Amino acid sequence: MGTSDAALVCRVRAGDTDAYADLVARHRNRLGRYALHMLGNREDAEEALQDAFVRAYRSLARCDDPERFGAWLYGILVNRCRTTGARAARRARRFVHDPAALETTPLPEAADQTEWDDVVRGALARLAPESREAFLLKHVEELEYEDIAQLTGAGVSALKMRVKRAREQLQAILREAEHV
Amino acid sequence: MFDNSDDAVERVVRQLRRPVSIDPGLDQRVMQEIAALPQSAGRPAAPARGVWRWLTGRREVRLSPLSALGIAAACAAAIVGVWRMRASLASAPDSALHGFQFVLVEPGAAQVSLVGDFNDWDATRTPMHRASGDGLWSTVVSLQPGRYRYAFLIDGRHWLADPAAPAAGDDDYGAPSSVVTVGGL
Repeated sequence: MGTSDAALVCRVRAGDTDAYADLVARHRNRLGRYALHMLGNREDAEEALQDAFVRAYRSLARCDDPERFGAWLYGILVNRCRTTGARAARRARRFVHDPAALETTPLPEAADQTEWDDVVRGALARLAPESREAFLLKHVEELEYEDIAQLTGAGVSALKMRVKRAREQLQAILREAEHV
Repeated sequence: MFDNSDDAVERVVRQLRRPVSIDPGLDQRVMQEIAALPQSAGRPAAPARGVWRWLTGRREVRLSPLSALGIAAACAAAIVGVWRMRASLASAPDSALHGFQFVLVEPGAAQVSLVGDFNDWDATRTPMHRASGDGLWSTVVSLQPGRYRYAFLIDGRHWLADPAAPAAGDDDYGAPSSVVTVGGL
């Protein structure tokens, strides 16, 4: 059995910086999946992920429960994605929060896997950031609402509403894609 | 294409749950960035740990009366030097950190947290304290010069921008926030 997160955190706190590389390698892909889906492109996702890992290292003394290092790290990544997403939105207006503009955004036809990938990516991009965040954390990362509330600062009922809205919006977008 | 709308969403979920591979080179970039950070307080750098071990390790020392006298004189000089240095530091202004007080009048709140760029928007890190019986909440945060976005989180549910500060014009995320600029930017 491998070394636990808590043991690695303790080693880092004791000055063994190299142990942090093990934590990065262990959590890289799972957190990267969230960042990638949340931000919609690999460059921004890796930037947010790298930033989150460095911030977590700098704040490691504030990780109250090293056993839950992964959850604590998630919280930092969620915030970095918010900041990076807001910056990316200003830069490229990739994820527009304008219903009128969204209506005119073309969707690729879902005929094969590649196009289906595009459909999913396009559908996610059309969700409002807070809905996309709640949907991904609940359904893709499979976190409990109470945990998501801690990560995001939003209340449980607000989160349930966001997830519900995201599901409804995805259904509408997918129906639309089916008829293109 | 889809039997019903729920099936379609489930298919999206299955697609999104597929493992994603992030460039392993990211690990190296993270560790390089960490290596370039100034050493954290309370955790000595590796060479310093070696010196500490050397200083605190047991060894036999033999002193002549004359060298003992010399060491005593050096210790006295060091104590005087440290005393003078502390006095000069106490009178010097701290240019790096600024204590910044945030206040909010929210009589109906049971708890208020300050969240912002300076605490990674973590609602648990900076709880505000009720400063008076008429609903004044307050906290002081040490900030380096810079521009920070922040907001108040009321009872863990409601986000509130600071009514007494400029709104952050660059908030694209949907939650209201304010902006504060510290120092001479």
